[in-house]
Amino acid sequence: MNDPSNVLGKVRRSLGRTAPLTRAPVPPSLSEPLIRLVLSDIGLPQLFEKKALENKIGVTPLRVDDLAAELVAFLHSKHVKTVAVPKSAFLDRIGAVDALRAAGFVVSTWDEMTVDDMYDVDASVTDVWKAVAETGSLVVRASPEHGRCLSLIPPLHVAIVEPKNCVADLIDLFETATASGDASAFTIITGPSKTSDIEMNLVIGVHGPEKVHVFLLA
Amino acid sequence: MLSFVQTALQKRVDDFHAHERIDFDFHRSSVASSGNERLKRAIDNAVLRSDRGRSLKLLELPDSDKLRDLAGEIKQHTLDHLDYYLEQTAINVEKRGGQVHFASTGAEAKKIILDIVHKANCHNVIKSKSMVSEEIELAHVMEAAGINVIETDLGEFIVQIDHDKPSHIVTPIIHKDKESIAELFSNYFGTPYNCDPDALTKQAREYLRDVFRKADLGMTGGNFIVAETGDICCVENEGNVRQSMTTPRVLISLIGIEKLVPRMADLSVMLKLLARSATGQSMTVYSSIFSGVRKAGERDGPDEFHLVLMDNGRTEILASEEYRETLRCIRCGACLNACPIYRKIGGHSYGSVYPGPIGALLTPMFQGLGEYKDLPNASSLCGACYEACPVKINIPKHLISLRRDIVDQKISSPIERIIYRIWAWTYMATWRYKLISFGQKTVLRLQAGGSSWLKRLPPPGSGWTQVRDMPTPAAKTFREMWNAK
Ligand code: SF4
Repeated sequence: MNDPSNVLGKVRRSLGRTAPLTRAPVPPSLSEPLIRLVLSDIGLPQLFEKKALENKIGVTPLRVDDLAAELVAFLHSKHVKTVAVPKSAFLDRIGAVDALRAAGFVVSTWDEMTVDDMYDVDASVTDVWKAVAETGSLVVRASPEHGRCLSLIPPLHVAIVEPKNCVADLIDLFETATASGDASAFTIITGPSKTSDIEMNLVIGVHGPEKVHVFLLA
Repeated sequence: MLSFVQTALQKRVDDFHAHERIDFDFHRSSVASSGNERLKRAIDNAVLRSDRGRSLKLLELPDSDKLRDLAGEIKQHTLDHLDYYLEQTAINVEKRGGQVHFASTGAEAKKIILDIVHKANCHNVIKSKSMVSEEIELAHVMEAAGINVIETDLGEFIVQIDHDKPSHIVTPIIHKDKESIAELFSNYFGTPYNCDPDALTKQAREYLRDVFRKADLGMTGGNFIVAETGDICCVENEGNVRQSMTTPRVLISLIGIEKLVPRMADLSVMLKLLARSATGQSMTVYSSIFSGVRKAGERDGPDEFHLVLMDNGRTEILASEEYRETLRCIRCGACLNACPIYRKIGGHSYGSVYPGPIGALLTPMFQGLGEYKDLPNASSLCGACYEACPVKINIPKHLISLRRDIVDQKISSPIERIIYRIWAWTYMATWRYKLISFGQKTVLRLQAGGSSWLKRLPPPGSGWTQVRDMPTPAAKTFREMWNAK
């Protein structure tokens, strides 16, 4: 800690104290009924779907057996040639990566890429850490397998969400994040990148993906 | 050698500041912009939309009023124990491989940041929007020090290449129309004129993508810092903050010391209120929570992370139990959007980076009442700002207190003080009051000559009628009517 002008001391004096507190202060208790918007854990994937659509995230609900074919068809329809994926046991297990390769896409896995490579990729296909039903958000978490840039730099981000990824409310997300607090970063994604800076005109697609699509497994 | 370079740099930075002349006259600036119909329409349109969006989106919450109470309590508690939470933050950020620097002034913050940039040998800086960096004009200082720094938020980028200033803390270019932006882009990029917002955004996007690719240092602000984990929370819609924390090898977050919350769970309260209050969204597109350096094995994110916590006048506000709560502000801009005065005069009239009701409080407190003594008067005290504020800062009350301070400290002009003294004396006796109101009525009715509006008052009232008309006084005063009853 680098505090040449003793800002900490000044803060303490401003609060009328001379020594550090000896006991941790107790913050106001967080009253759940005030904060929580989603009260039940039933039907979370459906709620997630509804909210995601409101945020202009595309959603295709499907069975895992149909995923490979649907994914390939979807990427073809978007004229995608090159795809980046995280190193993910889940994606391997459901056969997503093999299906993409078999369909002729050039697939690069994050552990053999650099950030710079990501600028030349048409789309990313990723798993997610969590999905928040309340807000229809995807949550991605940085790890050696899952780079921060995967869901940021390619113009199209396709996310594969399992029902067990879903949490009800932002409260639940932050509780989980506190409990498993070992990530260097996570981002809550609630729609395609956008701006309304110019005369409040909504423009989709600024520095992040202009399209976000979810394949929601049953 | 290095120290020589640094001394030379410091000198350039000092020179830069020497040229910065504060020459602020609220009266002149506000009169100028309240006469600008185009500007007024643009701002009204934009701001009213956000204000309506806020009211609508708050309805999604079980009890938004009580949630605002809770948010206010969380921030107040943090401020009341700020020394504890700052220390906790510093310890946690360091645990995660980050370096923590406290800066007592803007100058100190700038020096710390320039030192980091030079030591890390960085040349291409991408900067995302943050109010603290505006507060200390960081980008200008970096430019003056020969660093290639690019604002990457679309609005801030436009402000930067136009050498303009932001006029709103959330939507920085609401004072600009698309035609003027198109003209600017056409000149700057040497491309044909096209005023379609989509095309303009695309053009900036293409340009900035190359900038991101080359960047070796990212700068962010922070909406919140979570003391218990040392995490920074940044919210945005465009993705440029994410670029800053992803691509460059060095990351600096410059944040005011008041931005802390104790727990990660507090973010659920804050995020549910912030976007709703700011832009009428349930959530911003990206909420990123990050700290420290990338972990072993991670292939993106910074190798070097610095958190610069800046005081710059905040401890003085903290020391005042009366004004401390103004530091709760989460910079959502709701009070600007709700303010009838802001809507008429726009952000530039306030002469500082913090406009609107909260600016009318913060600017005089940060910069001193002397120069900015008119700002606390730039309010009709209608209370719309207090109603809108997600952390329930009682802005009207504090504006009145500042007015009191101006009187107590004898900052107002001697003439003004004499006038008020005479006024008070007149109103202290019934006969004097009657005499004056009779005189006033007679003179003004004569001047109006039968019209129901007065275009111009005689001095010292002439300033008041410069931008509005005054209704002609009624033929009978209230007293006369009452007595005749
Ligand atoms: S004072 Fe309140 S309403 Fe105004 S910007 Fe700050 S938090 Fe928002």
